Amino acid sequence: MDALLHGFITATARLGLDYRFLLDDYERVPFVQGLGVSIEIILSTMTASAIAGLVLLLALRGRNRLVAGLARGFIEVTRNTPTLVQLYCAFLVLNMLITQWLRARGIDNPFKPFFWVVLVLSLHKAAFHAEALRAGFDALPSQTLEGAASLGFSRATRFWRIELPLALRAALPALVNNMVELVKASAVASAIAVGDVTYQSIMIWTQRDNVLALMLLILAFFGVLTWMVTLAGRWLERRYRIPGYGY
Amino acid sequence: MATDSAAAAGKFAVTRLPPGVYGVLGVLVTGALLWSLAPEAGSRGETLARFVEWSPALAHGFAMNVLISIGAIFIGTVIGLLAGALAMSASFPGRLARLWIIAFRNAPWLVLIYFTTYVFPFEIHAFGITVPFPDWLKVTLGLALPASANIAEVFRGAVASIPSAQWEAAASLAFSRWQILGKIVVPQCVRRMLPPWMNVYAIITMGTALSSLVGIHDLLDTAQIASSTVARSSFTVLTYVATLVIFFAYCYPISWLTRSFEKRLRTA
Repeated sequence: MDALLHGFITATARLGLDYRFLLDDYERVPFVQGLGVSIEIILSTMTASAIAGLVLLLALRGRNRLVAGLARGFIEVTRNTPTLVQLYCAFLVLNMLITQWLRARGIDNPFKPFFWVVLVLSLHKAAFHAEALRAGFDALPSQTLEGAASLGFSRATRFWRIELPLALRAALPALVNNMVELVKASAVASAIAVGDVTYQSIMIWTQRDNVLALMLLILAFFGVLTWMVTLAGRWLERRYRIPGYGY
Repeated sequence: MATDSAAAAGKFAVTRLPPGVYGVLGVLVTGALLWSLAPEAGSRGETLARFVEWSPALAHGFAMNVLISIGAIFIGTVIGLLAGALAMSASFPGRLARLWIIAFRNAPWLVLIYFTTYVFPFEIHAFGITVPFPDWLKVTLGLALPASANIAEVFRGAVASIPSAQWEAAASLAFSRWQILGKIVVPQCVRRMLPPWMNVYAIITMGTALSSLVGIHDLLDTAQIASSTVARSSFTVLTYVATLVIFFAYCYPISWLTRSFEKRLRTA
């Protein structure tokens, strides 16, 4: 293992890339931890954004006009402002106010930067998921809906057993695309010093000035992740294909 | 059917005001609430006075965002159209162009911005003269890379929407491939490309906020400096809410226009 690592470092050094940080425990361990933190962020955000997206969709399609309007407004604001600004509004404004309020009562703030990143990214992507699902619902054939209604299914049963499964399938390509965007967007976590892979790399390259070497490593990491998400998406699309539709 | 369209018309009348207006109202109400709750000694009038003091700096910061976004979309469009056209051919340059598109569509923007900022030199020596290479230009290039990949895809999609029978018909009239592309296909594509192109521009503009992380004095960076200089909770709330609203006020009309163009294209 060690020989392999040394071989890799000498080989890349000949190309002008400096990977010597891999030999230093003080830098390699945080870097590997950073990879783990990035994956944690991505997985938590995927789950939370799927749930929040469904809740937003329910709000959009619900009978309550006010709730639907609020959901619509939230989606528009989220889609048309930078994620980084949203993150700062949450972390530097909300979190600051919570910290101040709790400090006055002698309590530590339980919300960590990790929580805020997952919260903001999830809500951001939830808006995109809700939009994709809405388009899926719009694409449902009206005959199916009328048929379901004429069979006496209740509104809730129609939604959960007939409309949602079909709309999910129609929205699947857009949802997978959102997940790929989510993987890429997770790099903003470094902005508020969550110890993700981008943050740890910045720490290393400010010491060693080996930006290009680390950059290639991060790009490869994100490339593999987006590729895996794309593959999973293709598998789901094949698995849940509606017979008689598409190619 | 008649009742359906009547219901649709009724719904349309209710939601005539763009939904984003309600959204921004929500943001302002939340902001005002937080602003009044922010704990500190001192008057809110003082906070407002400080904000007015800082507003020219914030405006200057946003001008930087707009400058970077326009530069990035310009460079990105030129490279993207070229890459998109090349990607359609089976030749070696075509393969390179496809690789370019895949690589820059799947890379995180933030990483690309770090890449161009730290890897490119701060000045260029060529033919005995030294040209400075400012950071804002590097960020512009960093955003132009993913923009070009997205625009190449937009171009590919638009060309794919032209019936292939037109290519065959033009080829039988002895047009060359580049002639068909330039004189027959592209003129029809321009109209179809406009909405997705505007969409890319809005996304690029939102991406310019990332430039604050590499030390460009853009709107977000100025907001950070302002809030740490003034150091009042209510001022911090005000500044960041203002930042959010400014970006929204710039990007929302673009996306609203995009949607109305799309609607017009669909009915045409």
